[in-house]
Amino acid sequence: MLSGKEIWAAFGRVIRREMRLMFHQPIYFYSTLIVMMVCTIFFLTLLHRGQPERMPVAVVDMDCSTISRRIVHELNATQSVVVAYRCADFAEARRMMQRGDVYAILVIPENLYNDMLSFKRPTLTFYINATYTMGATVAYKQLMMFGNLASGAFQREVLRKKGLPDSLIMQRIQPIVIDGHMLSNPSSNYSVYLSSVLLPGILGLIVLVITVFSIGMELKWKTSRNLLAEARGSMVIAMVGKMVPHIMVYTTMGISLNILLFRIMGFPMNGSLVWLCVGMFLYILAVQSIGVTIVGLLPVLRDALSISALYGMLSFSLSGFTFPVEGMPGPIQVFSWCFPLRHYFRLYVSEALMGNPTVDSMVFIGCQLLFILPQYLVHKRLKNAFIYQNYPLK
Amino acid sequence: MKTRFTSKLILRISDTWMVFTEELRRIFHDPGVLVLFFLAPIAYPILYNYIYIENVIRDVPVAVVDMDCSPESRLYIHQWDATPEVKVAYSCTSMEEAEHLLTKGKVHGILYFPEDFNDCLHSGLKSAHLSLYCDMSSFLYMKNVYMSANQVMLDKMYQIQVDRYRAMNMDENLSWAIVQAVPYEENTPYNPTNGYGAFLVPAVLMLIIHQTLIFGISMLSGTAVQENREVFFLPGRRRRYSVFRILLGRGAAYFTLYMAICMYVLVLVPHMFGLPHVGSIWDIIRFIVPYLLATIYFGMMIASVYKQRETGMMTLLPTSLIFLFISGVSWPTVSVPRVWRYLGDLFPYTWGVHGFLNINTAGATLYTTIREYIALWLLAAFYFGLCCLIYMVRSRRHEKRLEEGLDQHITHEQKMRELQDLVHETEDKMTREMERHLNSLWSRTKHAITRAPED
Repeated sequence: MLSGKEIWAAFGRVIRREMRLMFHQPIYFYSTLIVMMVCTIFFLTLLHRGQPERMPVAVVDMDCSTISRRIVHELNATQSVVVAYRCADFAEARRMMQRGDVYAILVIPENLYNDMLSFKRPTLTFYINATYTMGATVAYKQLMMFGNLASGAFQREVLRKKGLPDSLIMQRIQPIVIDGHMLSNPSSNYSVYLSSVLLPGILGLIVLVITVFSIGMELKWKTSRNLLAEARGSMVIAMVGKMVPHIMVYTTMGISLNILLFRIMGFPMNGSLVWLCVGMFLYILAVQSIGVTIVGLLPVLRDALSISALYGMLSFSLSGFTFPVEGMPGPIQVFSWCFPLRHYFRLYVSEALMGNPTVDSMVFIGCQLLFILPQYLVHKRLKNAFIYQNYPLK
Repeated sequence: MKTRFTSKLILRISDTWMVFTEELRRIFHDPGVLVLFFLAPIAYPILYNYIYIENVIRDVPVAVVDMDCSPESRLYIHQWDATPEVKVAYSCTSMEEAEHLLTKGKVHGILYFPEDFNDCLHSGLKSAHLSLYCDMSSFLYMKNVYMSANQVMLDKMYQIQVDRYRAMNMDENLSWAIVQAVPYEENTPYNPTNGYGAFLVPAVLMLIIHQTLIFGISMLSGTAVQENREVFFLPGRRRRYSVFRILLGRGAAYFTLYMAICMYVLVLVPHMFGLPHVGSIWDIIRFIVPYLLATIYFGMMIASVYKQRETGMMTLLPTSLIFLFISGVSWPTVSVPRVWRYLGDLFPYTWGVHGFLNINTAGATLYTTIREYIALWLLAAFYFGLCCLIYMVRSRRHEKRLEEGLDQHITHEQKMRELQDLVHETEDKMTREMERHLNSLWSRTKHAITRAPED
């Protein structure tokens, strides 16, 4: 048995050894700091507008009257769409849409103006290009609203001719009004949706891969016996000591990221940022534990890296921040619990968006804590691999 | 003269053929690359299809707070419940109760009916105001709740107005003509349900091809550099001016394999899983030729940076998301800031995914999406040229080092590693020797002991 002093000395040696490795290999610097910074800058600048605006649509104007020109004019005045092309026939517009140049087509029928005046109800036709779902949804919403406003405007004119006062006309045209309240994200800013989970997800991906890499490299370079010797043969000291420098780097990165998002960028935060940062810390520990488990089960650097890449990329889908997990098949819903990003996402919703009491967030923090355990199950197997180095190196 | 030319040509072709077979041999002898080239493109499409098999979100649970309790409000709630998008799961008596459900994640929207809802509708003097609260934790929940509540509102609104005109003894057709003078109809010709899976999975399929190819190539060339093999020379030769043959041979090896993989991922998978596949298969095949070529030489250019087997995959893994967003698939192209759009235009994925979606999902012909097709050929040529440059410069440097007698241009690190290997080997040998020695000693002793009583 080691005495307390020896344990601390061993820890110190392993930590110093790991830090030396980290500083001497540029790959650590590139694949953590540089990659994370590039991704942060990329996503925050890409989504800085928050809402997709001025989606190009094509108009097929078969009427060519003052009213159809006014429709084009009014459409251009809206925020969400812009009439990018005015086509002479539908075939041309269809090609535009197939080419992905426009997200929707508006067909204005012949004799629109005359038919309106003679109460024949001419029909406007929209074609929506759902190949690109985001642009299509924005364009569709705007066109639908536009269609209703057009009818409303016509009725207003009729009622005005009848001599009704404007105050009465409004409630005539719109007997029901829905006041929408977008809770805690009033402008439905997509950056808030995506960046606050996507970026921690990328951080998690980096943590996972680097953890696997740093342990796998010990096996590949056959330095694992040296590591064990420094740790006085204790697997716990070796692994924890090895992880401590990494944890410090990633936690600093994670917390700076949260401060950047919620303090500097001003993303909504209805709960406590401190708890979200605690969640971030535990999320990093959880992901590291999974990395250790993977490399423990498959002590071959190449296989462990492939598996963690597969797992890491899946975590974006299965965390449910784009397509809700509730809409996925049952087995996948259960499987989604195995992803720390899922729990981090739920903690984020509970803390930042809903502003729930801290007690509610504890569930998600507890889930992250559970992830720390499985790495201890593979310690024995990993120790054998460390000693005998009997796995393929390539 | 002519014979000399033909013999030279034959030599070149045989050189290229040698590189081609050598590269294929390397691929099939490297389990790590096999996982990337075969297992990932087979498994990933199946997994992603299964995750997004539902395609659209239906019956999102919502709550209503009905302070009016009139037939009108009940009818509204009933109609809202009847839409495919939402399901009225809770009927609350107070806003606090409903908000509690929302924050707990039990419901994703609340519709509040004020006490005067019915009175407003019937008096016709004031608009009736409903309040809709949306959970913003997911874009798709918000879309469902918001769109369905609005749809019901619009239907109701038109019906009320028509009823009012009818009450004034107006003909039904005429009242509709006043209330909704220009009705509209909507068509969604491609991806008819506007489903998330049918949109995302085809884009992911193209990304799988792109990423596995690049990871595989960087693993292959990283390994070659690490093992000190000559990447920039023809195998077994020490002359540099063979860059063209190397690039052609290696490219042909990846191209042949990936043509087959693309048949499965881009043609078979959409048929198997009922993804949109309205385009002509022949057009898809013709389109992926430049896509693969551009991706291969783009990958070889990137791979030339890496000197270790694994580092390529590690640093490039997060780029999958960047490619997906910069291409204008997840986030509309027109909303991508200009700098990023220009950068994105340099990536084969940007053009490839648009062309593939246009052909496969929107049924465009190759001629319709000719812009993407030409861009990919240009990119393929551009990256091939860049690769030539890089390989030429590096092989020259390599040759120089050979000339300077630094044949064993092994770095200090590699030397250390080799020494370490030697130590380990000797250790193992010694242990084995020792064991053998001890065993023979032991058996001799045993022999001596067992024989002793007989004597």
